[in-house]
Amino acid sequence: MSITYTIDGVEVSAEPNDTILSSAAKAGIEIPTLCFDKRTAIYGACGVCLVEVEGVPKLLRACSAKPQEGYVVSTKTERVERARKTALELLLSDHTGDCRGPCKLNCPAMTDCQKYIGEIREGRYKDAVSTIYEAFPFPASIGRVCPHPCEDACRRQMVEEPISIAFLKAFAADKVEADGDPYVVQCEPSTGKHVAIVGGGPAGLTAAYFLRRYGHDVTIYDKQPKMGGMLRYGIPEYRLPKDVLDREIAIIQNAGAKMVNDVRLGEELDFDELRANNDAVLLAIGAWKSYNMRVPGEDLEGVIGGIEFLERLGLGERPVLGERVAVCGGGNTAMDCCRTAVRLGAKEVYVVYRRTRAEMPAADVEIEEAIEEGVTFKFLTNPIEFYGENGRLAGMRLQVMELGEPDASGRRRPVPVEGATEDIAIDNVLMAIGQGANCEGVADELLTQRGTIACDELTFRTAMDNVFAAGDVTNRGAGIAIQAIAEAQKAALCINNYLEGDEVRAHVPYFVEQELGPEDFEDRPKQKREQMPGLSPEERRNNFEPIYFGFTEEQAHREASRCLECGCHDYYDCRLIRFANQFEVAPERFAGEMHHREHMDVAREVIVHDPNKCVLCGLCYRMCDQEVGKTYLGLYNRGFSTVVNPMVPEEARTFCASCLKCVEACPTGAMRSVPAVSRCTCIV
Amino acid sequence: MNQQAPSDLTLIEPTLTKYADVPGSLIAILQATQDVYGYLPMDVMEHIAQRTNTPIATIVGVATFYAQFRLEPVGKYLIMLCQGTACHVNGSELISSAITDELGIEDGQTTEDGLFSLKHVACLGCCSLSPVMMINGKTYGSLTPDKARKVLRGLAEQDAKEGEQA
Amino acid sequence: MDVYDDEGALHRLVRVQAKDAKAIHQAATTGDLSLVDKLLITPEDDEFLQQQTRVALRHCGVIDPESIDDYLAHDGYQAIAKILSDGMSQEDVIQQIDIAGLRGRGGAGFSTAFKWRAARDAKGDRKYLICNADEGDPGAFMDRAVIEGDPHSLIEGMLIGAYSIGASEAIVYVRAEYPLAIVRLTKAIEDATARGYLGEHICGSDFSCTLRIKAGAGAFVCGEETALIESLEGKRGMPRLKPPFPAQAGYWLKPSNINNVETYANVAWIINHGGEAFAAMGTKDSKGTKVFALSGKIARGGLVEVPMGTTLRQVIFNIGGGIRDGKEFKAVQLGGPSGGCVPASKLDTVIDYNELAATGAIMGSGGMVVMDETTCMVSMARFFLDFTAKESCGKCVHCRLGTKRMLEILDRLVQGQGADGDIQKLEELCYAIKDGALCGLGQTAPNPVLTTIRYFRDELEAHITDKRCPAGECRELITYTIDEDACRGCTACARQCPVQAISGAPKQPHRIDPAACIKCGNCKTACRFNAVLVS
Repeated sequence: MSITYTIDGVEVSAEPNDTILSSAAKAGIEIPTLCFDKRTAIYGACGVCLVEVEGVPKLLRACSAKPQEGYVVSTKTERVERARKTALELLLSDHTGDCRGPCKLNCPAMTDCQKYIGEIREGRYKDAVSTIYEAFPFPASIGRVCPHPCEDACRRQMVEEPISIAFLKAFAADKVEADGDPYVVQCEPSTGKHVAIVGGGPAGLTAAYFLRRYGHDVTIYDKQPKMGGMLRYGIPEYRLPKDVLDREIAIIQNAGAKMVNDVRLGEELDFDELRANNDAVLLAIGAWKSYNMRVPGEDLEGVIGGIEFLERLGLGERPVLGERVAVCGGGNTAMDCCRTAVRLGAKEVYVVYRRTRAEMPAADVEIEEAIEEGVTFKFLTNPIEFYGENGRLAGMRLQVMELGEPDASGRRRPVPVEGATEDIAIDNVLMAIGQGANCEGVADELLTQRGTIACDELTFRTAMDNVFAAGDVTNRGAGIAIQAIAEAQKAALCINNYLEGDEVRAHVPYFVEQELGPEDFEDRPKQKREQMPGLSPEERRNNFEPIYFGFTEEQAHREASRCLECGCHDYYDCRLIRFANQFEVAPERFAGEMHHREHMDVAREVIVHDPNKCVLCGLCYRMCDQEVGKTYLGLYNRGFSTVVNPMVPEEARTFCASCLKCVEACPTGAMRSVPAVSRCTCIV
Repeated sequence: MNQQAPSDLTLIEPTLTKYADVPGSLIAILQATQDVYGYLPMDVMEHIAQRTNTPIATIVGVATFYAQFRLEPVGKYLIMLCQGTACHVNGSELISSAITDELGIEDGQTTEDGLFSLKHVACLGCCSLSPVMMINGKTYGSLTPDKARKVLRGLAEQDAKEGEQA
Repeated sequence: MDVYDDEGALHRLVRVQAKDAKAIHQAATTGDLSLVDKLLITPEDDEFLQQQTRVALRHCGVIDPESIDDYLAHDGYQAIAKILSDGMSQEDVIQQIDIAGLRGRGGAGFSTAFKWRAARDAKGDRKYLICNADEGDPGAFMDRAVIEGDPHSLIEGMLIGAYSIGASEAIVYVRAEYPLAIVRLTKAIEDATARGYLGEHICGSDFSCTLRIKAGAGAFVCGEETALIESLEGKRGMPRLKPPFPAQAGYWLKPSNINNVETYANVAWIINHGGEAFAAMGTKDSKGTKVFALSGKIARGGLVEVPMGTTLRQVIFNIGGGIRDGKEFKAVQLGGPSGGCVPASKLDTVIDYNELAATGAIMGSGGMVVMDETTCMVSMARFFLDFTAKESCGKCVHCRLGTKRMLEILDRLVQGQGADGDIQKLEELCYAIKDGALCGLGQTAPNPVLTTIRYFRDELEAHITDKRCPAGECRELITYTIDEDACRGCTACARQCPVQAISGAPKQPHRIDPAACIKCGNCKTACRFNAVLVS
């Protein structure tokens, strides 16, 4: 005899044996739970399935409570949400591990490095490229030029050196290209909505790519003769061959993004018209103006902006430089400038930087290669005057500096050494101390005081209703390409939400992270990272040939196999992290003592239990006891000290390897079966 | 303590004969085991597992759940210091400090000579005598830090005398 | 001890010890009562007894607990004999309990008659009657007193319960910490069995019932009835989900009834005197008497039994004689880890399940711990959370981790590391745990903290904002100094100081080096001149 009742206003029918949870499930309503599994007896530990019933003073556990005729059940009241959220927060306050590896978390675009590295190791290159395309559409280009924050965070450096993540990315993309099987974008059916993107650089192209995937009609407008923005006009050929960039842009074009070049905002393009003719506009016009040094003599002939210099090169010009060139600045643009100057034939190339090498923001390998190519670094010097003859630069006066107290950025502040100066004779100065946006043609009301476009960091909306902004042009200004790409990826989602009429905000995902140190990896055998084969300094210094050849397949495999696989194996199936994000938890407020316990072999080399991730839902031991009938697992201690205790007889190993029900039932990554492959290596 | 000699399993045989087939007797068996051995040796628990056909995980689970059970041997004198409300209000914390000060052991520890173990226990039900401790079944009430020290010194002297006689 | 003289006048002696036996014997035989003058009851002690009404404790201290004959001489086993010989039906018995209005004395105060009917009506080939003697409240010893002082009244009450629900097996679950209680109850069971009050065909009737003891192994949560059942079955004492309730599926999944010791101790009295006599005592919702274990900073502590409806003030000041050492009353803790601290402003609350619940405390099993001005209420709340966190079985998230996190916050407060917002965080956790915990232990664990927030918020705030412990108890927040005017230079404090932080020549005022002082309090205990000050 079935009864009927309602859950959140939906009528649900229940049989005599049904609980609220089971009858809800039959009606397609998911009530979250961590400890319920119909193969085992009801346990009621997690408290995540709490529901409120009209007229019942206590909250009920849906996993065990039987519905009664006419019950009015609510799952979304404030009290229920609070109780569930608190349960999850309490659980997470004693749950440690890495949902995702540090590489992914440190990538602005949240690229799933661990996943594609695993796919490369297994020879599944196309899958690897697809994985990268989930984050952004430039694996080959970014793989070559990215300063790779992922590698900075990589824990392999606690063993010896970080994984060569960026080059592996380029390898996978080059490999599928070489195999004649490039990535093809899968787009949703057309929504009929139109989005105009101003700026065809990494941000604009990335946004176009995602918006096409969502099914929107996209047109990119760019002032340059070709798409690519700073990737094309800011990065020299020897680092990023333009045919590589071309083929990645072609993939986006093939996905249906329309591309219009040689149009400039405020000239051929009218901002108001764009707004009126499109459902949304994204401004991704970048930062193309080198900052001035603000020292006397900047107007002398021979003083050139670094960005403008690289742009001319990108346009196919061969700027004529004198024999002695000084580059001011310590970033990657400065490195591109000095190495380009070498290639253009300058005999003496200086990099003038007011701090020391340790403080240089440029990638270490760039500095290293610049030195190999003969560049002279003048650290702790700061230009105070450019001087010349007849309006033509002849030299610069440098103030000698020393390092003082750390400044707001944590770097030691350079301070002038009283009276110490040095003059050097030079023919050209390339200013590469930073770059700003040029927002001509953009309505003033959208701008910040610094002349960038003001936009919300979670919604990417500007002051105008259907206008969004992303990339170097926004708020704090220029950064590295992957940051602009990351903004565009999120902005595209926000634009999509906006066009679909949803809440615009991009959700900031919650992840569990842990701090580990070198002591945690002491037992790892050392294996140095693969060296990228390429041109010798002599071979490369007077031409623009690509300096790297790319990893061979064998190298890529070896390199990929160094990955420590920090991120949790169970991330995609983990119910805890899914609910944590669903309820937007903030467990930090309950931070306190955590269980730090050794991993335990359940069945040696077959199943491993990680008590740090265990939420004590009891499913593993109840499964072993009630469903399998073995009781190889039990609980140990009580209260906060409770842990799951494996006591598997040695002879049951083979059985465990084939059963794995505890692993399968675990709602988090606390139970893990060691893959057969790794098992072999363990035994060896 | 790592290299324990194997326990004499015959000592527990009478208990097993009586209870092995009686469902729900695990706690009683473990209590008897602790009476015999002073604690619950792992090899005895494994033996109980076999004899009662109970998974060892279950036995260890029960043994570690209840405060009464110990998986390590304790000293000759087991000081059970009451942590009840009345004892707390009447200064059991000072008694605890005095014992720690006197013997150099904290809750759950045993002196190096194996003479004393200190265990904080839930209410002994002697609230009118608070603060209270019980040593090997004997209750000492209305303690002051000084009085507690004297009791311990007395026991140590008594043990020394017994040693001489032996 | 009561001595009747030749005229039959009663002379009540108190605090009698073995060494007094000779003097008492002489006094009794010679009639010279001056020999026992110092043992004669004082007016204060008399008041202590006169203001009580003894039902559950009616035989305690009156009869020899190891003598079944003494029990029989005091109407023992009359109630069960009457039921069996008069042919009272199960319903007849339950009806008397119902009329009496007996509610569970273990804490929650559920109607005993309702539970018995539910167990009687449940279908099952076997039923069990269980006594919860796992007296867990760390400040209560009523059950211990009843078992040690009058074990047969428990047995008789249980027999009547077993008869009423149709159980043929009864079990007493006793705390392992009560060895004497186990010894006395074991003897009582043997004696009762030998006399035919337990076993087959009790009193020659068709009613048979055995009784056995199961010793607990130290887990407060086993006072929760489903956890107790798990423990009886030899398992970890982790609570089961309800429903099904034990009345439907309890011990070995058979219908089972569980009451605590004091509840059963009332039963025979009710049958002997009738439900109405019991109901004549007490308030509208709370009938009969209640036993309390009065302890703490009280002048005269001990077990007291008073009619429901007595005020807390009467119990503490009239019976207990107020606070000892002339200090101020601050609060009384009722209900242990599930209860709360009731402040002076609520002293006129009457003992009644609902009235006490309205204060934020609970009737509880009868722990009544009195506190004076030197007791820190924050430290008290921490004490209870420490207890519940240690005793949490660890099964449900809210209790396992919620109490742990609350304890950590309170730990910070007593160490002077509290932060703004800690009170709100505590409150938030309190309500979440009340809503989310699986069993009674967890659901009531926040009560001590909630009452502290309700009545002693200023003391919490002093710890957080001023890093000050107004009661002068929290070690991290106090300093010890010596009042130079009061100090006689007796050196007692310096000799007791474990870290040699006290200096001063004999007969000269001493000084405490605040940097070296570890605040153990030894000096204060040692000083006979009240010269050690705490601030």
